Amino acid sequence: MLLELHKVSKHFSGLVAVDNFNMSIDAGELVGLIGPNGAGKSTIFNLITGVLPVTKGKIIFDGEDITDKRPHEVAELGVGRTFQLNPLFSDFTVLENVVASFHLRPKSSVLSALLNTTTYRKHEASIKEQAMEILKLLGLDKVKDELGKHLPHGHRLVLGIARALAVKPKLLLLDEPTRGMSLEEIDLALGAIERVCQQGVTIVLVEHNMEVIDFCDRVVVMSFGRKIAEGSIDQVRKNEEVIKAYLGDINAA
Amino acid sequence: MKWKLPYLSNKGKIAKPSIWVAILIILAVLPLFIKSPYLIHIINMTFIYILVTVSFRTILTSGQLPLAHAGFMGIGAYVSAIAAKTFGVSPWLSIPLGALVAMGVGILIGYPFARLRAVYYAMISLFFGMLIISGVKAFAKWTGGAAGLTGIPPLFGFNKVPYYYFFLGLTAVSLLILYRLESSRPGLNWKAIAQSYMVAASVGINEARYRIIASAIGCLFAGIAGATYAHYSTVVGPTSFSFMATIMLLIYVVVGGVGNFTGPIIGIFLLMTVPELLRGFREYVPYISAAIVLIVVFLMPKGVTGLVKSFLSWLAELWKSRRTNDAP
Repeated sequence: MLLELHKVSKHFSGLVAVDNFNMSIDAGELVGLIGPNGAGKSTIFNLITGVLPVTKGKIIFDGEDITDKRPHEVAELGVGRTFQLNPLFSDFTVLENVVASFHLRPKSSVLSALLNTTTYRKHEASIKEQAMEILKLLGLDKVKDELGKHLPHGHRLVLGIARALAVKPKLLLLDEPTRGMSLEEIDLALGAIERVCQQGVTIVLVEHNMEVIDFCDRVVVMSFGRKIAEGSIDQVRKNEEVIKAYLGDINAA
Repeated sequence: MKWKLPYLSNKGKIAKPSIWVAILIILAVLPLFIKSPYLIHIINMTFIYILVTVSFRTILTSGQLPLAHAGFMGIGAYVSAIAAKTFGVSPWLSIPLGALVAMGVGILIGYPFARLRAVYYAMISLFFGMLIISGVKAFAKWTGGAAGLTGIPPLFGFNKVPYYYFFLGLTAVSLLILYRLESSRPGLNWKAIAQSYMVAASVGINEARYRIIASAIGCLFAGIAGATYAHYSTVVGPTSFSFMATIMLLIYVVVGGVGNFTGPIIGIFLLMTVPELLRGFREYVPYISAAIVLIVVFLMPKGVTGLVKSFLSWLAELWKSRRTNDAP
C-alpha cells in the first residue's frame, strides 16, 4: 500500500467538503478520481499534499503518517502534484521551471551555492541534464526556452507534469491534466501520462475526460465529499448511485 | 490575496566580468584625479547606498516588500556606534557586531513574518520599521534620541580617501556575494516562491526557510552599510532610517528597474548622485527627481535597465533582420 486515506474529513466552517473518505492506492496503479464538480476531488489532493489541514482522519504515505505534514515536507517524501490553475512558474522558461523544481534531488546548501564549489556545479550540471531528459520524455524539449506564460494552454499543463516529475515522485497527483485542452493537446498530455506510467510512477488523477479515464486501472467516484463507488470503469458505469450523482435522481423527477 | 510583487528576473549574465574589472580599475584610480573632498564624499555615500539598495532588492526577489529596510540599516548603525562610543569597542569589531545584530533581528522577525505574504508582510514590516525609530527616540540616553548621536569614533580619521577605498572594496565584495546568491540555487528558489508559493512548496521548496534566508542576508548587508556609515559620518540620526528613507530605497529600485541586479545601482546614480552633483540648482532638485520618477513609472514599466535591455534587443533584432535582408 503506497497511499492510504483513513476516514478523512475536511470541514470548512460548517461546510463538509470531504466526509469520512477512505481510499487506498497500491504502488504502480493508475487511479482515476472522478465525480461531479464540487465533489471534493481537488480538496482530497490538497489534503494529501498538506495544502489544507485535515479536520479528522489519517493519511499514510509509504508507511509514514503525513496527515499533519506541510506541503514541502510531503514533496520531500516523494509526492509530486500538478495544479489546475497556475500550474507553473510563469516567468521562468520551460527549462528553468523544471530546473527550479529540482530543489530536492540533489540538495545543495546555500553556502555551497555562494562559494560555487565543484560539488555544487556538478549538481547543477546534472540537474540540467535530468531536466532536459524529463522535457524530452514529455515532448517539451522543443520549447525549452519559451517563457512559461507564453506557452499554449496544453503545454502549460504538461509542463506542470514535468515540474512534478522533478521531485522524483513515488506518487503523482494530477489535477485535471487535460482540462480545457484541444484534441491535439490531449494527445500530448495522454502521451505524457502514458510515458510517466511506464516509468513505474503511481498516479492518481482527477479528470472529467472519459478518454483519459479509460486509461485508468481503477476509478474512485466521489459526490458531495463522499466516496460513492469504486472499481473498474465498467463496474462504476452501471452503478446506480453514480448515475444518480451525474444525472440527478431520475425517479425523483 | 492576488496582490503580488512584480517578477524579478535576472536573465543572462550582467555584462561580462571583464567590464566589471574595468569599472573596478577606473574606480580604483579615480581618487588620483579627483581633488575635491566633497566629490569623494558623494561617491562614498553612493557606495553605501548601493549596498543598502541592492540588499533591499535581494529581499524583494523573494516576493516580500521589506518596508523596515532602512530601519535595519539603523540597527547596524546604532549598535556599532553605541558599542564604539559608549563601550570603547574598536570600530573594526563594532561594525561586524552591528551587522550581525541587524541580521539576528532580521532572522528573529523572519520567523513570525514568514507566515505573512505580500501586502500583509509589507504592512507588518512597516510597523516594525516605525518601532525601530520609536526605540531610538525612547532610549535617548544611549542613542541621542531625535537629535541624533554625535561623536562616534571614525574609522580612519577625517581624510575621505581611505574611506573611498574601504567602501569600494566593501561594496564590490558584497555585490559579488549578493549576485552569486541571486544567480544560483537560492535565488532561483526566491524567485520561484515569489511567482507561486504553492507551486514552489509542491516541489519541496520550504517557503518560510527561504524567505528567512533572504531576510537574513538582506538585513546583514543593510546592517553592514549602516554600521560603516555611522563610523564614516560620525553622526547618525533617526531620520536616515525612517519609513521615508525606505520609500526612497524603493524609488531607487523602481526607477533603476526591479528586474535587474544593476537596477538599484542605476537608480541610486540617477536619483541620489546626480542631484547631489547638481547642488548649484538645489531648489530644483526635488522637481527633477519627481519628473524622473514620473517618466520612469509611466514610460518605462521595467525601469531604466529594462528600457536599455529592450533597446539592445531591439537593436539586435534590427541587425539580424538587416543581415538576412542583405543576404542574396
